[in-house]
Amino acid sequence: MRSRVLGVVTVAAVALFTLLPLTTTDPARAMGLPALLDRSQLRGLTTISMFVVLTSAWNIIGGLAGYPSFGNVAFFGLGAYATALLTDPDHGHLPLGVGLLASPLVPAVVALVVGFPLLRLRGHYFSIATLGTAIAFGEVINNMDFLGGATGLFPPIIRSDLLFYYLMFGAAALTVGVTWWIMRSRLGHGLVAIRENEEAAAVLGVDTTRYKIIAFVVAAALTGLAGGVFAGWNSFVNRDNVFPVDYSVQMILMAVIGGSGTISGPVVGAVGLEALIQLLAGGSGVYTQILLGVLLAVTVIFLPRGVIDFVIGRSRLTLAHFRRSLRQTSV
Amino acid sequence: MSAPLLALSAVTKRFGGVTALDHVSFDLAEGELVGLIGPNGAGKTTLLNCLSRLYRLDGGSIRFSGMDIAKLGRHEVARLGVGRTFQVVRPFRSMTARENVAIGALFGSDRARLPPREAFRVADEVIDLVGLGGRGHLLVDELTVPDRRHLEVARALATRPRLLLLDEVMAGLNPSEVAEALEVVKRIHASGIAILVIEHVMQVIVGICPRVVVLHFGKVLLEGDPSTVLKDPRVVEAYLGERYARRVRGSRGDG
Amino acid sequence: MSLLAQQLVLAILLGGVYVAVAIGFSLVWGILNIINLSHGAFIVVGAYITWTLFGRLGLDPFLSLPIDAAALFALGYLLQRGLINRVIRAPVFFTLLLTFGVNLAIVNLLLAVFTSDFRSVTPPYAGSGIVLGPVVIPSIRLAAFAIALLLAALLSLLMRRTRIGAAIQAVASDRDAAQLVGIDLRHTYALTYGIGAACAGVAGGLLSTVQAISPTAGEPYTLQAFVVVVLGGLGSVTATVVGGLLFGLIEVFGQSAPGLGAGYANAIAFAVLVIVLIVRPQGLLGR
Ligand SMILES: Nc1ncnc2c1ncn2[C@@H]1O[C@H](COP(=O)(O)OP(=O)(O)OP(=O)(O)O)[C@@H](O)[C@H]1O
Ligand SMILES: [Mg+2]
Repeated sequence: MRSRVLGVVTVAAVALFTLLPLTTTDPARAMGLPALLDRSQLRGLTTISMFVVLTSAWNIIGGLAGYPSFGNVAFFGLGAYATALLTDPDHGHLPLGVGLLASPLVPAVVALVVGFPLLRLRGHYFSIATLGTAIAFGEVINNMDFLGGATGLFPPIIRSDLLFYYLMFGAAALTVGVTWWIMRSRLGHGLVAIRENEEAAAVLGVDTTRYKIIAFVVAAALTGLAGGVFAGWNSFVNRDNVFPVDYSVQMILMAVIGGSGTISGPVVGAVGLEALIQLLAGGSGVYTQILLGVLLAVTVIFLPRGVIDFVIGRSRLTLAHFRRSLRQTSV
Repeated sequence: MSAPLLALSAVTKRFGGVTALDHVSFDLAEGELVGLIGPNGAGKTTLLNCLSRLYRLDGGSIRFSGMDIAKLGRHEVARLGVGRTFQVVRPFRSMTARENVAIGALFGSDRARLPPREAFRVADEVIDLVGLGGRGHLLVDELTVPDRRHLEVARALATRPRLLLLDEVMAGLNPSEVAEALEVVKRIHASGIAILVIEHVMQVIVGICPRVVVLHFGKVLLEGDPSTVLKDPRVVEAYLGERYARRVRGSRGDG
Repeated sequence: MSLLAQQLVLAILLGGVYVAVAIGFSLVWGILNIINLSHGAFIVVGAYITWTLFGRLGLDPFLSLPIDAAALFALGYLLQRGLINRVIRAPVFFTLLLTFGVNLAIVNLLLAVFTSDFRSVTPPYAGSGIVLGPVVIPSIRLAAFAIALLLAALLSLLMRRTRIGAAIQAVASDRDAAQLVGIDLRHTYALTYGIGAACAGVAGGLLSTVQAISPTAGEPYTLQAFVVVVLGGLGSVTATVVGGLLFGLIEVFGQSAPGLGAGYANAIAFAVLVIVLIVRPQGLLGR
């Protein structure tokens, strides 16, 4: 019953987000449809899709495998730079499609290489080491002249908001689909076992090293894809816009608010929070950031299992529930 | 006689200054049931951790069905057929009992990799076998303490091991629960699986183990049939000394 | 040769700054098992207090250090008591997130109040230095170094010689036993966090005299503190001092290596971090 409802909701949401953008001012006029959205709203939807990718991809390594990476933004940046380098007229000068192909590959290879040492670390050590990796990658790239140094790279401008919306939305659908597939496969069961108790998983035969690396690489590839699409869309990348540490934390916050370790939680968290941010301040005001900080605190204290747990899990919207959950974690 | 299933030779493990295992050697044959006893801190759990390759040895070697365990990964040891429980249970807490057991079935053996659906079928069988029948749908937190022990056994068993390592799975159970657990161990053994069972409950050791190994301060003190071994003055002293020590600790209030 | 000597002096003095940056972080991590991602923000708050008092009242930056410490202690105490105590038994990842949230809020409040302009504190003696043959020792850096070591010594004394210190140690080694002998856990945790924040405040006051500050300058400090603690090892003031001094050497000589430069400061720090974590996860002085 419940899965039937979920299926209907999913299909309806996919249909809505596929068709609705056709009603943006220009394409709507061209096709004779009513104009329901303006361009900035479409761009808003594209950004929301981008955060769905980042959050759901983070969920694969952080939520399923239980390795809360604070450095996933590095993969976003690497993907963006890969696409930018291949398409920038002064460098690769290749078509966007080719550039996009590189965007998941480069971060995947990097994740494979850095994953071996990083995924041996646990807890705090893993989180901070990944945070450090992201900062270091941004810094090194910022210092590399052939990557444009601090100025950055400039992929050719392609004026089609609709194209980039569909690319980003496609990436989001792909990420959610991959998560869905993983959770049903042997891989997903192994990852959750690793999250719950890594040594117990190992003595039951789970190849923990391999599984953690796979999760990390898959997350990196999907995150990189979003970076690649962003590079084409924004037609300008540098450290400041594709390596912001804030993104790392934002994706974690979205996943946790929604409910990490589930399929729908990260989607709900990303859509809800990003929509809220856009409604409030267009995304970058000082007060929005303060609000994010407060939300982080509230989530961590009151909603450790995310809002989705009230729908599909065991949390109940009662005072007693909050009391019990608080008592479990406080002194 | 054919080569033993498990062969330990001069196994040594140190933690800083403490030598937890000191040149431990013994064998275990295919399908054999051996008891491993010794006072608290003797090194029993450490030995299990070495067997399942959670620890690296500081000396000696462990061979399982002819393979040197030191050369294998932790999961490879498991897939080769070494299953174990943890003295302090380590369930996957977000999962139901059935899902816990299915993990063992999914990953435990290279011989026939089970698809998830098949693994859940195996899990149901094993759950019945260890006496968890009807409680597979419960979350770990909803299980009683004895049932969590059963879950440890079920999970290990679902890997279809050739050797099962049981670390004090009966500690803290009441007599009727112990009797039940004993039946389970006998049933597992009857299905041809070799078992190394660590237990403080002597009734268990005497009741089911044809052979016991006594560990004391990391050394093999003695090895033989339970009735002889338990009467040996050295074993009595090891345990009495321990019990005495425990009484002293208890009266200080931190035992 | 004289260049080398000069670099060595600067490296050691820089190490002192790192000691100050890391000491409170180390305390909070070691005792509460919290990686305090708002540590850098606390440092910046301390720096702004010193800057404000210097700019408005002309108060000498070194005289404002006790005020930094008191203000940050209060902030830290309240944060722990009101927020962090509520998730202290949750998975460590949650305290990480919570302190990042605090960080975000503080940094952006600072941005709202002070704008993103860089500020510096320049007392009249700012440019002076002691000349020792070919080597010049900047007097402000020397003073900052001395105060950093003094801070470390004070903290060490506090931990070993006072009732508060004893309570803190007891809580760290066994929470339940400490509670049994009548230690107020919530208060002790809050005290610990407050002391950690106070150390950050002092570090901020010191830093404002040697570097330009801005609201967003805190993040590298947190990372540096982490690296210093990993380098020295968790659990003692001495380890942090050793880690800080060593890290000063690594930074100065690392950045002067061919092909690198000041732009690589974080990358070097991070590389050191990962190498230490993999080769000797318990740190140099850790057990
Ligand atoms: N990870 C470890 N680090 C340091 N010392 C350890 C570690 N594990 C075990 N030891 C020490 O090794 C010795 C053997 O411990 P072990 O847990 O193997 O004993 P045991 O025989 O299982 O005892 P019990 O009957 O209480 O379970 C003890 O002195 C213990 O303190
Ligand atoms: Mg034991």
